[in-house]
Amino acid sequence: MGTQRSDRFDEVEWDEISQSRWFEPSKNTLGVVFCTLPLALLGIYDWQVLGERTATFAFLGTEWNLEGIDYLFGFTLVLFAFYVVAPLYQNPRMTRYYWRQFKRNRPAVVSLGWLGVVFVGGLFGPLVVSAPEQSVLTGHQPPVFLSIDAANVATCVGDVVGGRCQGTLQHPLGTTQGGKDVFASIVYGMTISMQIAFITTTIVAAIGVSVGTVSAYAGGWVDETLMRFVDVVLSFPTLLMFLLILYIYGAGLGMFILVFSLFAWGGTARYVRSKSLSVSEAEYVKAGRLTGATTAQVVRRHVVPNTASSIITQLTLLVPGFLLAEAQLAFLGLGDSAVPSWGQLISAGRSDLSFAPWIVLAPGVVLFLTILAFNFLGDALLDALNPEAEAENE
Amino acid sequence: MSEEPLMSVRDLEKHYPITEGLFRRQVGVTRAVDGISFEVERGETLGLVGESGCGKSTAASSIVRLEEPTGGEVIFNGNGRGGATRNADGTHPNDVTRFDDRELEAFRRGVQMVFQDPSSSFDPRMTIGDAIAEPLRVQGMDDRDRRRAIVEDLLDRVGLSASDADRYPHEFSGGQKQRIALARALVLNPDLVIADEPVSALDVSIKAEILGLLDELQSAFDLSLLLISHDMSVIREVCDRVAVMYLGEIVEIGPVSRVFSDPKHPYTEALLSSIPTPDPRASPGGIELEGTVPSPSDPPSGCRFHTRCHRVIQPAELDIDQSAWRGLLNLRATAESGAVDVAGIRERLAADSETDVTDAAVKARIRADFDIPSEVASETAERTLSRGLDQIVNGEFEAAADTFSEAFTTPCEETAPERIEHGSGHESACLLHEPDRTSDDGEGAGGRRVSADE
Repeated sequence: MGTQRSDRFDEVEWDEISQSRWFEPSKNTLGVVFCTLPLALLGIYDWQVLGERTATFAFLGTEWNLEGIDYLFGFTLVLFAFYVVAPLYQNPRMTRYYWRQFKRNRPAVVSLGWLGVVFVGGLFGPLVVSAPEQSVLTGHQPPVFLSIDAANVATCVGDVVGGRCQGTLQHPLGTTQGGKDVFASIVYGMTISMQIAFITTTIVAAIGVSVGTVSAYAGGWVDETLMRFVDVVLSFPTLLMFLLILYIYGAGLGMFILVFSLFAWGGTARYVRSKSLSVSEAEYVKAGRLTGATTAQVVRRHVVPNTASSIITQLTLLVPGFLLAEAQLAFLGLGDSAVPSWGQLISAGRSDLSFAPWIVLAPGVVLFLTILAFNFLGDALLDALNPEAEAENE
Repeated sequence: MSEEPLMSVRDLEKHYPITEGLFRRQVGVTRAVDGISFEVERGETLGLVGESGCGKSTAASSIVRLEEPTGGEVIFNGNGRGGATRNADGTHPNDVTRFDDRELEAFRRGVQMVFQDPSSSFDPRMTIGDAIAEPLRVQGMDDRDRRRAIVEDLLDRVGLSASDADRYPHEFSGGQKQRIALARALVLNPDLVIADEPVSALDVSIKAEILGLLDELQSAFDLSLLLISHDMSVIREVCDRVAVMYLGEIVEIGPVSRVFSDPKHPYTEALLSSIPTPDPRASPGGIELEGTVPSPSDPPSGCRFHTRCHRVIQPAELDIDQSAWRGLLNLRATAESGAVDVAGIRERLAADSETDVTDAAVKARIRADFDIPSEVASETAERTLSRGLDQIVNGEFEAAADTFSEAFTTPCEETAPERIEHGSGHESACLLHEPDRTSDDGEGAGGRRVSADE
């Protein structure tokens, strides 16, 4: 074995090559497994061993607690790291090519920067910034460099100049009626927004891609059944369903994400199906089948990667919808008021709009910018991730 | 080594069902490939030529089982499977159409393909190094470094550099991609490469390069090659033998030198006359095939080419000008489909002249449209024709169709021709060459029927 290894294709002794074909996971898949295992163990420990009220990391002496949605978020982050970031690093040539295409679109580059800020802020902000706390006495503090009539403030943290309370760096974006720091609330809201973005995207992509490819490849009555089911999903009144659940069982952020993403994959599935059908006609898929690969292998290596890159755009454009939906529900008071989302903050400030507009404006602007950024990003990704279209144009 | 061919295709069929309605009731069948037989010898290049839509590519994908053939057998004696004899029940152990999954996977090492369109034959998200190495990986070569070394060696052989392995398909030109496609086809060291229109998407200069490379690789690695093309000049350049396909059937097969110098089938004649000649003063002289290729879901009876053949046989009692006969048959076909546009002809004639349009003028116009002279050189035929034209002018299309179909019949639509051998493996399927038929130029005299089960 290995003694007469020849590097010429016509001197390969195929009979000597092992035909054992058990599943060989890629490095990235192994990475996902190794990172998910401790997460899952921790989750089981938290769920089975620790009491309801005990913080997850109590054994480290901290009050840091994880909930179901945090585990889900962690898992999607692992997937993101190994299936999106790692391939970009492993294929530097393709990455450079994508980047060259991508950076032609200036607004998209700025958007990416902004989303990077939101992402990092959402991930690490809560570790740096302490959670906003209720403090009725210091309610309605103005943002730094601004001032408010001292009559509206119980206790002014800054100086009172000429009957007006001045903002301080202690509360750079001011405080709410309850005295919660707006800046800290926005940072904590970033975490919520990122959780919504990542988890919904993962659920929608997983179901959409599976249903779409199975439908395209199975054909016949399977295709027919799945696509009619997609019609049902698309015409389902998700909002009413959510309200129903909300009134009967009460609903937190987890339920919101679950319900909305479980009824949002219809379009993705349809798109993946049509894209898979066109990809399966391509000659490289025929060439793939000619190597002796099974249909499942061909689908995994050629069909899914080539459809997935084009649904990234679609998913990117789906996320703003979820963020807006969450904010709208929170504003209407239909969300879980314990969740420090931007929508909750906006909702909290609406009664004070006349004299303390920052409570609404600060998170409103952040929400607006984030949604705008996702839309710009989606457009730019569509252009950048489509090398075939580019080659045809040249 | 025995004299058995590398691959022998016997009566291969690929029929697609045509279904209709909610329950997918089968209402017909498209005979894309309808019983073709040929052999590929070791080290030879066989060309498969025909118009687009005649089933060449379907034949190729049925041979390699990218699509499941619906009939016939493909016997592959490569991969060290040679010397096998038929089983007791008449099946062949080397019949590709009966291979199980394991055998099929090994068969992939024996036959590979090069595809037509260089822009879609590579996964845009895979480096070409990975694309070339993919067959190795799928076939079980786990050693990454070895795969890499083989890929680099191969890239070098097809005229690219080893460092190109890290580049992506969009970074290459069409010609380069076809070289890479060749490398991918070669990487498993197959015995047979099927090239489906490998150069039809390329510029002329690149075309010659790729064909040269193909030739070079073929002799270096003792490959057999099945080259599919619609371009007779490509076939002439690289092939040893050529099979001409029309509407799912092979109408002529033989050594290139013989087929090109002495085509037996009228369809081959027509194809050959379409090759442009470099002499600017030479008259084009092409044989123009009339009409379009009939639909393979409803192929013409008898000889499938009779609807367009310029040498379609006249019945025994008739002896008129060949183009007039073709015109009569075309008129008959048009009348049968009810597509004679008398009103249209009247309108056009009325636009040209001030006076009323007479029936005689319309009839003359129809004759002119179908290249029929004003007086057919046979009294009976002329009589039938005038009667039929009268009926057409009177709007009795069905009666006209009956009149024509009774009188103007050709043996070609009644009898399916068998393959006739003309010596040195040159065979054709045309009634003109049946031994019991004395054709105009007496070419058929030397022919010998090829028995089907030979």
